[in-house]
Amino acid sequence: MNKVSYEIWASRFFQAVTAFPKTIIFAGLILILGSAIFIPTLQKDTRSDAFIPPDHPALIYRDKVEDIFGLKDPMVIAIVNESQTGVFNPNTLALVNWLTEQVALIDNIDPERVTSLATENDIIGTEDGMLVEEFFEAPPTTQQQANQIREAVMDFPLYLGNLVSREGDATLIVAELIDQTQAQQVYADLLALVEQAPTQQGERIHVAGEGAVSGYMGEYIDADAQRLNPIAALIITLILFVAFRTLRGTLLPNFVVLATVGSALGVMAAFDVSFFVITNALPVVLIGIAVADSIHILSQYYEEVAQQPEDTPRQVVIRTMEKMWRPITVTTLTTMAGFLGLSLASVMPPMQYFGLFAMLGVGVAWLFSVTVLPAALSLLKLKPSPAYQIQQNQWKIDRFGLAMKSFGGWVSRHHVVVLLLAVLVTITGVMGAFKLELNEARITIFQKDEPIVQADTIINQKFDGVHYLDVVVETAQAEDLFNPDHLKQIEALQSYAATLPHVNGSTSIVDYLKQMNRALNEDRLDAYQLPIDPDLVAQYFLLYSASGDPADFEEEVDYDYRLANVRIRMDTGIYTHEKVVVEAMQQYITDHFNTADISANLSGRVNVDYHWIKLLGNSHFGSVALALILVWMMASLNMRSMVAGVITVVPVAFSVLFIYAVMGFAGIWLAIGTSMFAAIAIGLGVDFAVHTIERLKVLIREQKYSFDEAIAVLYPSTGRALLFNFAALVLGFGVLATSEVVPLIKFGTLVAVGISASFIASMTILPALIKAINPVFLYPENTSVNITPSMKMTETIHLVDAIQKERKDDIQTKSI
Amino acid sequence: MTFKQNLFSQFFLISVSSLMLVNTAVAETNQLSGLEIAQQVNARDEGASVSRNLTMEMIDRRGKKRVRETRGFRKYYGEEKRTMIFYLKPNNVRKTAFLTYDYPQADDDQWLYLPAMRKVRRISSSDRGDYFLGTDFTYEDIKKEGKVGIEDYTWKMIGEEIIDGHHSYIVEAIPINDKVARELGYGKVIYHIDSNIWMVRQTKSWDVRGNELKTINFHDIRQVQDIWTAHMLEVNNHKTGHNTRFLFSDIDYATGVADEIFTQQALRRGL
Repeated sequence: MNKVSYEIWASRFFQAVTAFPKTIIFAGLILILGSAIFIPTLQKDTRSDAFIPPDHPALIYRDKVEDIFGLKDPMVIAIVNESQTGVFNPNTLALVNWLTEQVALIDNIDPERVTSLATENDIIGTEDGMLVEEFFEAPPTTQQQANQIREAVMDFPLYLGNLVSREGDATLIVAELIDQTQAQQVYADLLALVEQAPTQQGERIHVAGEGAVSGYMGEYIDADAQRLNPIAALIITLILFVAFRTLRGTLLPNFVVLATVGSALGVMAAFDVSFFVITNALPVVLIGIAVADSIHILSQYYEEVAQQPEDTPRQVVIRTMEKMWRPITVTTLTTMAGFLGLSLASVMPPMQYFGLFAMLGVGVAWLFSVTVLPAALSLLKLKPSPAYQIQQNQWKIDRFGLAMKSFGGWVSRHHVVVLLLAVLVTITGVMGAFKLELNEARITIFQKDEPIVQADTIINQKFDGVHYLDVVVETAQAEDLFNPDHLKQIEALQSYAATLPHVNGSTSIVDYLKQMNRALNEDRLDAYQLPIDPDLVAQYFLLYSASGDPADFEEEVDYDYRLANVRIRMDTGIYTHEKVVVEAMQQYITDHFNTADISANLSGRVNVDYHWIKLLGNSHFGSVALALILVWMMASLNMRSMVAGVITVVPVAFSVLFIYAVMGFAGIWLAIGTSMFAAIAIGLGVDFAVHTIERLKVLIREQKYSFDEAIAVLYPSTGRALLFNFAALVLGFGVLATSEVVPLIKFGTLVAVGISASFIASMTILPALIKAINPVFLYPENTSVNITPSMKMTETIHLVDAIQKERKDDIQTKSI
Repeated sequence: MTFKQNLFSQFFLISVSSLMLVNTAVAETNQLSGLEIAQQVNARDEGASVSRNLTMEMIDRRGKKRVRETRGFRKYYGEEKRTMIFYLKPNNVRKTAFLTYDYPQADDDQWLYLPAMRKVRRISSSDRGDYFLGTDFTYEDIKKEGKVGIEDYTWKMIGEEIIDGHHSYIVEAIPINDKVARELGYGKVIYHIDSNIWMVRQTKSWDVRGNELKTINFHDIRQVQDIWTAHMLEVNNHKTGHNTRFLFSDIDYATGVADEIFTQQALRRGL
């Protein structure tokens, strides 16, 4: 199909759309309702595991290990008392006792799996045997008794840094849940309980734990979304009002927004795709994108209305759409290409879905913009916008148009300066990009003053840490772990782990066996070592079970005594710290641990985090490259020129570099939230370049304007529309900056910065570049680029006259 | 024996209508109360002493099994009860032995012999709600041996049913207070008690917060030397997915057990 037949086809299409406007609007309504009906079934998924591809080996292995050893994500309550006695005084121990009892009464907490100083036993060796008894049955009444408890606890290595801080100034209550998916409610109940707790001066209580984090995040995100989305919608409406100052110009695009957001979320729900942490950004992103097409269509519409107020609404609408369908279709395709890049290159399900449903939303926005919007406009009587008026055969340009016009003139005059500046910024950008750090820490999702962040900080400070790296030890046969040589190897591995930064402790069956050996040997300190007889090891385990729960050692050893778990405790969840430990442990295991009889593998959250955040880095650069390539291909195809494709991509490439620079210099991590910015900034930012080039092509190639003349026409009309398009996007993403979810703030801010950069680049570097290289695709095939400006000027004037006679197309502001 | 006859006729009546009336509360007069049923259970003869083999099978929630074979002895000295368990298999725990003296009022005494250490060690008494030797039974469950702790609960008959073809009363037992509940680890227990031989056929328990905890089934109930004896006990822990099975064999109530069995020397010497 050649170009002319496209035009005929488009023309027929808009004839048809405006022939049955009510049917079209009705169908649009049905579509919105039909998809929005599913929205209430959306399921939230705030687990950090949700970011990992479900088939990732590290995740599968971790789940298997959790199943074998029955590892849970419990709730953790920390009681801190930094006074001289620490927590070992009658009041604080009474508080521990009270909380332990009360926690066990909360719904969905397993009362048998609440662990604290008030529930745990001390194992003491005596002259003729061994005593297993509670540290205290009833809270002590005197400081002297409390001191004795302190002494007993401090002499029990298994609990130090774990249940009680090594300084004795903090202790934990650990509570397992019956149904992990209800963590949010339990967290709320615990906070309410803590409020009522009879605390004395100097005592502080904090609630944390992975379960608490997931639980709280759900609530946090809900509250955030309920605030952000209305603000975004309001801001966009305001921008539309300023741009058009008419009711229809303000309200009709909102209909497109509704359709876009409704269908994206509705289809998500219909396909059982969960609402992830980052999905919160989707409605806001879509609101900003959905109005872009409308802004360009309405701008053109009001220009048409001003020029031909005598025509029927239908004629005006058809003419508007004939001119606008092409640029908005191209920008839709390029934006979709950007999101496709994100979706394809990302390995993380939330991002894949984000890309996919943003793509769907953009498609729906386009569909409504080329059907429902013209259908609705064709039903309304023509009424000019105060922003678009012709006086004495000239455009009365409003202040936005005037500002854009003088800006365009400046760029055109100083294109060399513009290009030099661009080169300078690019060099700085590259420097900044080298400072870019791939990093992530889950707790940074929350604001620093959130109680959950404070709890996390305190617990990691006072205790050995709640970030676990598990080392799963595997032997060949059942009961091979009774072999003292194997136990010694585990002991050595634990000693090595202790030398690594941020590792403060570890626990395995070795620690229990040593404690047992000491207790059965009159509590002699020198007996705190591994037994040498494998039968004795077997008998120690049997003895332990004499008062233990069948699942007592579940977390340390499997039922056959073939697999053991070594849990290494770290005080940081920051990727760069975890990386050091994971890589060192892997090296140690390969070089010093594995033999034919025994081997080890890493697992636990620290290991999973390490693997998937590493993936995040790779997939980020992949998605940027892919988005750029896809956008370049779309633009090249559309213009039928690879050079045109390259020129289209220049502003977005520039903006990506600019964001890297901002991140690098500001020390913003390339993390989950921030890693998505690039593909989105590319998909959205490229619109400015597409609209600019499309219009330049029409002006220069078809209407035979000189470059400077084309610029003078382009800035107050297309430029003005782009300015509002830009404002809608920047303010839309800017709304994210008011989010409470830190990654969304960073994401929103970075995308806003990126869009600003690509808007400015499209309005400066792009025209400057075109002026400098005079690309062939802009000029008629048989016209030499070397014609003198004066020759072109005369030609243009004639041409304009001719066009004006025929269709009064663009009214030139400058030379008529 | 008029009482038994009375019961017998009632049993017939109920079994006829039982298909339609399972679990319905009994409204007839002349009914036994929950407490009376519990008393009947505890009045059952269980022999002054017994020797028997016990195979313990413990299965974790993933289906992995540990099997331990033991030989056990139990003897009453008035209200005091002495128990000895010798491990026979697996080999690495062979000759490990536990000796327990349960006193009616005081804390129990417990000694242990670890052959690899060649030492008898006294170990501290266990709490009633503690798990017994890594099984799903608590020390209290074991101590009661199929009887019930009358004084710990308030008893209520809540219905009757046919279980494995035997008419049974359903009796609900609620710990008398929170302290006892916490000690036992149970917030509620429902007993299914055979109305004919006063043996517990099934026990269901809930934890102190009302979460479903365990089901114990008493199987293969038959008489050994005129004493009704369950030969297989099965516990399912609903919370942990852990199961325990006790298989008894070579049960002998008649021969008697020598007092020397329940000494530290015997502990060291083994069988």
